[in-house]
Amino acid sequence: MKGFATLLWLEARRSWVWAAALIGSLAFWAWGIEQVRLMQVGERLGVRAILLIVASMTGALVLALMIGRFRSETRGGQYQVLLLTPPSGYVHVGARYTFAAATAIVYYIAIGFLFWWIAEKAGIHLDAASAAQVTLALPLYLMVITILPFLAWVLLWMVFISSYRISGSGWIPGTVMLLGSFFSLRFLVEGLIDIAYRLPSWRLFQNLQTAIDRAAWEAEIEGYGGFIAMPQEPFWVMLALIVVFLALAGRIWQEVEG
Amino acid sequence: MTHAFLTVVRVLLVGLVAYWAFRLWIGTRSYTSRGLGLFCSAALVWQIVAGTL
Repeated sequence: MKGFATLLWLEARRSWVWAAALIGSLAFWAWGIEQVRLMQVGERLGVRAILLIVASMTGALVLALMIGRFRSETRGGQYQVLLLTPPSGYVHVGARYTFAAATAIVYYIAIGFLFWWIAEKAGIHLDAASAAQVTLALPLYLMVITILPFLAWVLLWMVFISSYRISGSGWIPGTVMLLGSFFSLRFLVEGLIDIAYRLPSWRLFQNLQTAIDRAAWEAEIEGYGGFIAMPQEPFWVMLALIVVFLALAGRIWQEVEG
Repeated sequence: MTHAFLTVVRVLLVGLVAYWAFRLWIGTRSYTSRGLGLFCSAALVWQIVAGTL
């Protein structure tokens, strides 16, 4: 536990500039939202929502660069990673992932608050349950099925490449895992679509239409049947996949070190 | 003609991936890396031989 705390502190020291810059960039996006001054309120809300989606995708890219920048980490010309250290490989991987995941959680929950803010600016006053769902439930759900497995995959990818460092350049392992994962992703998505909604779904935004009806402008949400049903199967499958990716990364680290 | 050409391309690609898989097998001391390398190589070979996009 002490080793984990130390490594987490080291990770924070190494990556705090990235994390601070990422979270600070939300001020830029908030300023960008303020600059949208279209006359039609629906269009204004749409453009602002698109800006926040772009912010989400930019954040994923920055987080991936933050968690995967192994190659630039050298000390005295020697790579720092996958070298013999007292804490196990699992602890190294866990600390790195925990810092990136914590940064991601702060970033995407803040984006959830920005979504709440643009809804308020559009005259849609959310009740407490909907506000909690837009700022907490939805960001966490979407993170678990997209960003967090992606970050775990990036970490595994970099550890996998690093395990071939002694034998030569990493382009062969990098290319094989990238392409192999890309083609396997299709089966994962198809499988998730097949099993979705077999368990009871999670119902979100049950009062959204009421809130929109109360707003000054009238709008019907297409396909909205009184709530938005989120399937829970992808959530559990992707959560399991995160554990598998991190366990593999930790195992590789152990085997290369030992 | 086109079918024969595609077959030759597929055989060459499978050969390339097989060479990569060999390099991935001998290039590390980690059995987990070898397994992961083989899994990804197998996914690539499957895509080349029978896959559609």
